[in-house]
This record gives sequence, C-alpha cells and structure tokens, in this order.
Amino acid sequence: MKPSFQVENIMLDSLISWIGSRGNTRGKSLSIPVFDGAFKPNNLLEEAKTLVESTGFSDIISGANNRLLAACDNRVVEVSKTGELSELAVLDRAITSLAQLKDGRIAVGLGDSVLIGAGTANPVSIDSAGGQKLTAVTALAPALDGGLLICDGSKSYGCDDWAWDLMNNCKDGRVIAVDAVGGNARVVAAGLGYAFGAYESDETGVLVSESWKHQVCQIAGKNARAAIDRLPGYPCRFAAADDGGFWLTLFCSRTQLVEFVLKENDYRAEMMATIDPRFWISPSFGSGADFLEPLQGGGVKQMGVLKPWAPPRSYGLLVRFDAKMTPQYSMHSRVGGHNHGICAAAQIGDTIYALSKGSGRIVEMSIRATRKTLFGEDAA
Amino acid sequence: MIKTISRLRYKYWPDHIFGEILQKSWMETAVPLAVLIFTIVFFSVQIDNFISPSNMSDNFRQASELGFVVLGISLVLIVGGIDLSVASIFALSNLLVLYCMHVWQLPLGASVSITLLGGALLGSVNGILIGYFRMRAFLTTMVTLIVFKSIHDLINVRVAVPISSNFPDSPVWDIMGYGSILSIPTAVWAFGIVALFSHILLTRLRPGWWLLAVGGNRRSAYNIGLPVNRIVALSYVASGVLASASAIFYAARLASPGADTGSGLEITVLTAAILGGIRLGGGKGSVMKAILGTLIILLLTNGLLRMATPAGTARIILAMILLMAAALDIRWFKNRHKAVQEMYVSPAYLELPHLPEDTTAPNAAFAPNDRLKAVETIGLGMIEAPEDVVLDDYDNLYSGNRHGEIIRFFAPDYQRHEVYARIGGQPLGMTFDADHNLYVCVGGMGLYRVTADREVELVTDETNRSYLSVIDDSRLKLADDLDILPDGRILFSEATVRYEMHEWQTDALEGRGNGRIIMYDPKNKKTTTVLRGLTFPNGVVLASDKQSIMFAESWKCSIKRYWFDGPKAGTVEMVIDNLPGYPDNINVASDGNYWLAIMGMRSQVFDLAMRKPGFRRRMAKQLPGDEWLAPNINTGCIVKFNEAGEILDVLWDMDGENHPMITSMREHKGYLYIGGISNNRIGRLKLDGVDETFVSSGKYHVG
Repeated sequence: MKPSFQVENIMLDSLISWIGSRGNTRGKSLSIPVFDGAFKPNNLLEEAKTLVESTGFSDIISGANNRLLAACDNRVVEVSKTGELSELAVLDRAITSLAQLKDGRIAVGLGDSVLIGAGTANPVSIDSAGGQKLTAVTALAPALDGGLLICDGSKSYGCDDWAWDLMNNCKDGRVIAVDAVGGNARVVAAGLGYAFGAYESDETGVLVSESWKHQVCQIAGKNARAAIDRLPGYPCRFAAADDGGFWLTLFCSRTQLVEFVLKENDYRAEMMATIDPRFWISPSFGSGADFLEPLQGGGVKQMGVLKPWAPPRSYGLLVRFDAKMTPQYSMHSRVGGHNHGICAAAQIGDTIYALSKGSGRIVEMSIRATRKTLFGEDAA
Repeated sequence: MIKTISRLRYKYWPDHIFGEILQKSWMETAVPLAVLIFTIVFFSVQIDNFISPSNMSDNFRQASELGFVVLGISLVLIVGGIDLSVASIFALSNLLVLYCMHVWQLPLGASVSITLLGGALLGSVNGILIGYFRMRAFLTTMVTLIVFKSIHDLINVRVAVPISSNFPDSPVWDIMGYGSILSIPTAVWAFGIVALFSHILLTRLRPGWWLLAVGGNRRSAYNIGLPVNRIVALSYVASGVLASASAIFYAARLASPGADTGSGLEITVLTAAILGGIRLGGGKGSVMKAILGTLIILLLTNGLLRMATPAGTARIILAMILLMAAALDIRWFKNRHKAVQEMYVSPAYLELPHLPEDTTAPNAAFAPNDRLKAVETIGLGMIEAPEDVVLDDYDNLYSGNRHGEIIRFFAPDYQRHEVYARIGGQPLGMTFDADHNLYVCVGGMGLYRVTADREVELVTDETNRSYLSVIDDSRLKLADDLDILPDGRILFSEATVRYEMHEWQTDALEGRGNGRIIMYDPKNKKTTTVLRGLTFPNGVVLASDKQSIMFAESWKCSIKRYWFDGPKAGTVEMVIDNLPGYPDNINVASDGNYWLAIMGMRSQVFDLAMRKPGFRRRMAKQLPGDEWLAPNINTGCIVKFNEAGEILDVLWDMDGENHPMITSMREHKGYLYIGGISNNRIGRLKLDGVDETFVSSGKYHVG
C-alpha cells in the first residue's frame, strides 16, 4: 500500500514543482551543499599564524628549492621563513598570477597578458590565444611537459571585475596551454564558468576550477568533464601536495541569497547599473569594512555575538584532496573571522601557506599539527 | 513605463488581503465551495434548465431532507465517531411517522413528537454502547444498521398495507410534503432553521465547543473536566433525531412504506460529509461544510441522472470525483498553513529618497567617529534585550528584558540589580508618570502600568477595530513606544498590526504601512486609533510646544510630527525625510533638542530591494528567514536633531563592539543611557557641558 501512495506523492510534488518552475516561484532548487564530512567547519585558518601582511598580495607558489614566492603589486618577491620580502623581479603593472616553470623561469600574469621569464634578459610575452586576446589571466600553472597552463577567466571582464562576470552569468572562461618557450598556444578548454585555477599532475591530469559552476573540471582531449562538483564554495587556485593529491582554495562559500539573485534578472540588472560592486549581493574576498555591505538575517548580531554559522559574505576555506580527488579535510575561517578570501596556497615540507586576499595576509599552518587537531594523535 | 505600472500595481493592489483572507478559519470551506461551483457550472452548461426555478425548488427540497441526515452524521464525525445506522433509523422513522399519521390518525404534532422521540431512542442505543460502554463506533453502528434494518423489514411486511390503504386528513402534513412558504419549500425552511441553530451551537455555544474539543483531543477534553462519555453519547442521539426529522419530511412527500427506504443512505451522507470537508478524524467541521457537501452530492446525482448517464457510469464518476475531492481536501488541509505562510508576506513598493554617496563622508553630518567607544557598560550579561531604558528620581535604572521582566539596576554604580516586576511579555518603550507609576508598552500584550507598589496592571490592550480590515486589528500586537501628554492622556505607537513581536524583521521586509498611533484617554478609559497606515511607527515623544509629538517611521527612514491639540490638531508634518539609517526611539535632550536612536544603516542593495516588491516576495518564499536580505542593523548610531529637522550631532560605534543595534537612549543628569533590543548590556556615556539636573521622565500625571 505504501509504495503506491509514495508514487502518487512524488508525482504530485513533481507536477507542482514543474508548475512552480514556470513562474520562477519554486521548484528550481536554491539549496546549496552544506559544510559536511571533509568540509566540517573548524577555526584552523582563522587561528593560523600570520607570516606577513600586505594588501598587495595576489598569488603565492612554492618555488624551486623550497622557496615561497609571492606576487605583491607589481613585484615578484621571495618570502622568507620569518616573513621578510626580497625582490626577485619588478614589472610595470600589477601582477595577477604567478607560476614557476619546470626549468625555473618565472611566469607572471599581468591582467591581459602573460610574461614568461620575468626578471630575465629576454622574457616572452603572450597576449592572445586561439585568435582571441587574453582578458583576465587569473591563474597560471606549470604543465608536466615543461610548458604553462594559462587560465583566462573571462572574455569580457578583467581580473578585478570578476563580480561583473558572475552577475552577468558569463560562461566564457578558457584554459590555454603553451610550450616552454611560450609558443604553440592552444585552447584546451573553453566556455568555462570562470577559469580560476589550473593544476596538472600524473595522477589527476589537467584540472581546472570553474568558480561560477562550483566545480573542478578534468580536461581530457577536447572535453572538460566535472571531476569534483557541488562544492560548497567558489573554487580557486590549486597547490600541489607533497604526498599525492592537491590543495584546493575556495575564495568564498556559497549563499542561497547569491543563487537567488542570480535568477532575479531585473533586480540584478538594476543593481549592476546603480550600485558600486563593493556593495553588491555577491561573494566577496573580504567583508565587514563598510556598513553599506549587504547583511542577511542570520548575520544580525544577537546579544553582542555574530553567529559563525550566519550566511557568509566572505569566508576562508582551504581543502586537501587526495589523488583520487576525494576531499580529506579542510581548514576554515568562519563568519566574523578575518582570514577570508583564500585564493592561493603553497606547501613547503610540513608547512602549508595560504594567501587570504580579504585580509592581505599570508598565513602558515603545520600540516602535522592540523591533522592531529582534526584526527587525533594517530593521524599525525 | 513598466516601472510605473509595477509601482502602481504594488501601491494600490491589496496583496496583503489575500494572505489575510487565507488565514481566516472559514477558508477551510474553500475547496468544497469550489467543487460546488464547478458542479453547478458544469451541469448548467451540459443540461438546459438545470437552474430553472422548478428544478431548483425540487433540488432544494431533496437537499433539505438529505441535509438533516448529513448534519446528524457531521455532528458524530466532529466528535470523532461514525454513524452508519442512520439509514435504518431513517427507514424505521419513516414507518413510524406514517403509521402514526395514516393508521392511528394522530394529530401532526403528536406524530412528529413520537417519531423524533423514536429517533432519539434508536440513536441512544448507539450512544450508550459507544459513549458509555466504549465500543468501537464503526462496528457498533454497523451492527445497529443491520439490526434496525431487520426490524424495519419485519415491521414493514405487517404495516405496509394498512399505511397504504389509509390517508390522513391533515393539510399541514401535505404542506410539509409538497407545500411552500413564500415559494420556498417547507422542508427548506425547517432545515434552514435547524442548520442555523446548529451553526450557532457549534460556533457560539458551549455544548458545540465541547463537541469540537472532544473530537479534537479526547484525552485533553477529559483532562479539562468535560463529560466526554455523555458528549459522545448525545452526539449519536442528535444524529438519530436528525435522521428521523429527515424521515418525517420524506414521509410527508412520498407517503411510501417501501421495503428499500433509505437503503444506501449511509454511504451517500457519509460521502456528502467528507466531500464537504468534515474530517473523519474528528475535531473539525462546520454546518456550512455539511450543507455544501449535501448540495454537491445532490446536484451530482441529479445532474448525472438527467444527463441519462447509465447508472454504473454515474456511480463511477461520482466515486472518482469523491476521491479527487478527498485528495484535494487532504492536500489543502495539510498545506494551508504553508500557503498562508507564502501568501501572507506581501511586500509593498517603498521608494526611499536617494541617499547621497557622501552622507558619511568625513565632513558630512554623519561623519564616522568613535564616540560611543568610550561607553561604560552596565549589566553586561545580566540583561538580555533592553529595548528601552528609563531612570527614576533616585537615579535607579529600569529596563525590560526578553524574559518578560522589568529589571532595576540600583544607583549609583548599577552593579546590583533585581527583578522590579514580572510582566510576561517583552517590555519595550517605558516612561514614568509624576506619581512614580511606570507605563510600559509590552510586545504582544498592550499598554501596562507598574504602580509605585510594583503591582502590574493592564492599562489597555485593544483599540477600535477598523471597518475595512480583514484581520482583527482591535487587539494590540506590537505596542512599542509611548509618552504621557500634559493633560494626562497617553499616546503610543503600535509598530505593526500584521506581525508578532519576534517577526518584526518580516515587517521590515514587507515595508507596508502596517502600524498606527493610538491615544489612551484615562478619563473615560477609551482607546482610539488616531493615525493609521504608518510604516513601523516608533519613538513617540512629546514635542516642546506640548501640542504635538515626534515619531519615527522606521522603514521609511523618516521622522514626523503629529499635532494632537491646538490649532494644527490632527495634522502630520515631515521633520526629517531621508535618514541614512532606520530610526527607532526618540527622547528629549536637556537642551530642548531630541535624541534619536538609529537601529541600523541603510544599504543600497536593501533600498533597491524595497523598490522591487516581487523580488522580496520571491525571496520570502524561497529562502529561509536567516538568508533574507536584511537592513544592516549591526551598525547603529545616536543622533541629535532639532525641530527643524537639522542633524546637530552624531555618535557612532562603527565596529558595533558594544552597541551594534541601538534602539533607545535616554539623557539623565548628565549621562546618556543606551539600550538595544538585540544586545546584552546597557551603555552609559558621560555628556559634556549639559544640564546635570535634567530628567526626561516623570513630569505628568496620568488621568
């Protein structure tokens, strides 16, 4: 008796939700993945030690010989273990992304172009691929063949205008591969919902973050297929992990309100036309600077306390994936914290460094200590 | 163009009324009514003359006969039982009344009385068995159905011939059968009177409420001391009486002692009752539903008959419609509150004046500062939700909390505190009169007074109901700030009539003129609404001319002035029309100006949302409350302004460290005391160069 009743229920419900979806009232699910399992929230990122703080940081990588390299404004710098910066190269524009090729040369993204061999006598510049100019070089990654993977986030908006790209529902990011001398540029994936990070290894092949689709794609030949989907945040750059697998940064966590606004064309259009992007309803690298920022009901302070589970405007999240692309554990900086907008990470030995764009900090954590906190004595 | 249309549509189309209507309990009848209307429309399209006077009259006569029985079974269903034996009682009563009239030739009154008594007796068999012996209703009435039917069959054989061969000489009897009064059939009159009485019984009289209570929850009914057994038993007696009443009219019309009288009647009436929306589980039901169900069944059967549908097909159609109606009714019953929830919030179009970009620029009036950083903290962690603060002559500090108490902090250091009075609802705006009585607006309760002897007394909790309001707006839902006038009257604001205390954020989302200002006159103890249609009115304070008050309209970010006396009595004027935040309480400052608490700041995205009612409506439907876009109430400030509407001073706590949301402040002897409804502390700030004897409360006598 019971199963047939359920069938009737499911049919009725799906009928109602189908009718609802016609009028954008229901049905289209606004649910977002919760922080569960490997994503269980903690405060590790927020409690992490600050190595160095500067608003200019845009990317960090672990370079050759266990050196931590960072892009800060228009400079490529090495960050020492004590947080001192020493200059390696100076460019004429702000750097948007950073990578080191197999041969040790440094490649930098400069918004709408890429420079391979920055700081050397004869650098190679790339400003177009597949017959199209680069627009937003959001991330660079060394390829296994000695070349370079370039993430061109969007066709229409530069790196700083990523919020426009999201709010216009653009899906035209590209991943471009070039060889070691910067030639033979070819588009390996296009039509991505903002390409914001790439990674290549023997275990995983070529991976790319699609921020607006909350997924990581695996690129095989001409096809990109979702390898990690339904992420609870907006995936960003990768970092190699020492014993297999990789780190994935997520620059903000998702909220139902943003998903809702993305369906509300009329509201979104007027918001984009009349309001400063800093105050839009959109994910953000940092928050709390201005009372003109949007606030959601759960974020109202009660009895002097801002609840850490309030809907976030910005969030800090770094996730460790194993070689099978299964999430293992994660580090968080929750609502009310400062180390938000994690957009790059680098592992050197036992230390994982993370760049928080929201606070401008590079923070460091011991992986051993982290595992001990999360899994107890044995895991360390 | 489209914008204008949308604005006009949201301005004049009363969206909120749909939700309010849906909330009414009589909306439970909506589904059967819709089915009835559909049935009528369907058959009048299919059949000529379906709604002709003669046909209608005939239909109504039959409907009334059926209606008596349905009414009876409805009463039993409401109590949580079932009565299948009505068909047999009907048949037996038919024989009885015919035998009385035809064979014994008794007068009409006597015959009717005997028959009704017979019905009551038969019903009481069920009643005693089920009510007192606690037997299962279904089984018991099925048995009595069979037993009564068998008795009927035995008797019928003997009395059929005598009945058929005699005829009573009673014109009244004939009128009962086929006559009309004012061209309405007699049976309809009789049924109408009985139905009206039953309606009053169920909705207005104690026995009716008892029926509903027993049906709703038998154990609870027993626990509160209701005679459950007797009530159950009497419902079966009533069912029996009504079945025999039906039989009397049936007999008068047909005078037929047929062997199959009433056969299958129990199924028909049961389906009629269920189709009308009376639930098998008990506790729910009304006379209107019984009538609607009866009409649907009758029109359906007659309509199908007249369409010459083969009997089998007609029955299948009937069954299908019943099934659908029952399924719809269950859905409706289960989901009505969800529908109400979705429909009730109906955002309005609210265009705030454009907020200049440089409102909080370093040189502007609202330039950020950290002057509230220096605030001293009182009662940190000892008080929750001090919406308003007030001080007495001895400098003791009083504040409400969310546990429904008024807490007193003792001067001079405010380290010690006690519960001054227990009220039960959350105290909001407070003020002293000259006799040391504390007048308090209590959320969800109304206007209260704590006397100097700490007795809590109700001052008023209702005002005059407005004629055009769907919801009952006479009760005070969210009285929130008050002031005592020089002549002893009290003016207070009610923030919203559509939401409860804890739902004020939903009212913010709605942005509709749901609030009002109310006058209480202690001389004749009358409470009257003086202003309505205000958007979250708040912060009532007597102005310097003693003929007007200042008040804030929170979601409109404006301060207004209302004259209650003098030459401008009754008028309202704008004082400040474009605040950068949401104003809350207002109080007088020692220099004759006014302090204003700003509970939170406007954000452009929220302002834009206020101009997009559809956006907000969908947001309210699709997102949980914690995910809604909210006004930024994590940053508040205190403002000093004058009667010309000029901003004189602004005090900020930019990081919201101590006072993220400020709902009130009061100047007292050189200090400013600060309260916040979502806070767990009271702030105190030393003011420089002010009159250190100034006291803002306790000037006037009430009465």
